[in-house]
Amino acid sequence: MYGRRACQLVKELSSAEKGQLTGFNSDMFDQVVKECSTHYLELQSLMRKIQEEGMDIQTTRNADHFGMVIHHLSLMRNKRCLMAYVYNRAEIIRNLRWKIGPVLPQEIHEKLSYSEEEYFKNHSTALESYMSELELDLTVDMVPPKDPYIQVRVLDDIGEVLLSDQSANLARHSMHFLKRIDAEQFISQGLMEELTG
Amino acid sequence: MAHYYDIDEIIVEEELVSAVFQKAANGVGILDPSAETNSVEQGSKVELPFWLAHELLQRQAVTINVPACFNQKTRKEIQADAPCVDLRSRCPYFYELGCKLAPLVGDRTIGSLLLQAFLSRYKEVLSKAHTAASTPVPKVLTILTKEETNLYETAQSSMAAFKKWRMGGPRFQRASVLGRKRKPTD
Repeated sequence: MYGRRACQLVKELSSAEKGQLTGFNSDMFDQVVKECSTHYLELQSLMRKIQEEGMDIQTTRNADHFGMVIHHLSLMRNKRCLMAYVYNRAEIIRNLRWKIGPVLPQEIHEKLSYSEEEYFKNHSTALESYMSELELDLTVDMVPPKDPYIQVRVLDDIGEVLLSDQSANLARHSMHFLKRIDAEQFISQGLMEELTG
Repeated sequence: MAHYYDIDEIIVEEELVSAVFQKAANGVGILDPSAETNSVEQGSKVELPFWLAHELLQRQAVTINVPACFNQKTRKEIQADAPCVDLRSRCPYFYELGCKLAPLVGDRTIGSLLLQAFLSRYKEVLSKAHTAASTPVPKVLTILTKEETNLYETAQSSMAAFKKWRMGGPRFQRASVLGRKRKPTD
């Protein structure tokens, strides 16, 4: 109550490593929402008490009024914590589309709530329709390019893949000389690594 | 807008400060553990989170006392040898809380205390960040406040970026949000 649990929810976000996503804590989220209802009911009962005693609700400054103020402030605090929780997670989710691509791995799926997955899908669709209008893929070349081709080693079995200039068999531990824009997606998903020197 | 959603702001404002109620308040007895009825009496001393104490102060319902982390003992330690003082155990948000409290409490010396502490400590923080190895974790990290820890980590990452630029190295990285790499199963 009084914002303590809501703050714990926010602390979960701050204790995670930078940029990492924790699982959506829907239990705690629902508890905070219930606390908001409790505060509201207390607020209403204090308001009725003031009105029953025949005092003016706008100008009275007695003990009931300050009780009302505290409940109201706790409600606003809970709201702020909940909004911050959702807002900061949404920011990470938006970045997912740019870093990983349109398909999320299972380990990330488990951490998202249903509405967050919808949010990701809609954001992804909006981005793709924008990119297809421009006929330009904006999610490649996130690091300024030095060379159009790079040397890569494959870490996980991907199999036969048709790339923009060649068709390659991406078996594990094989090395290839690929175009940057093809390799970039695979590297950020952790399926390949860049070889230097 | 930037402050409303900022996680660190929210956590700073949850820090407890000691407040004396100038007016009674009904229906909120949980705030005062020694209250017998469901209300807080006028004149009772309660530990409130900063956000609540701040609002009530503006409505003149409480007065705020300076919290323990800014007391004489800490001040003497900071004057003696600031870089060694364990500020994290006193208050992990020492500077942020001090900045917020200074205009409210009427204690003019908090500002100069914060400045003195930060000036002496940041030099240590930066020099350790640029020279220390990443493991084992240097002892200095355990006594830093959140703001100083951010400073330390920024310095370390800029040092790492500089070294990487000098040496060259893979410029593409696995997306950090995916977490630690699992060992490939053979």
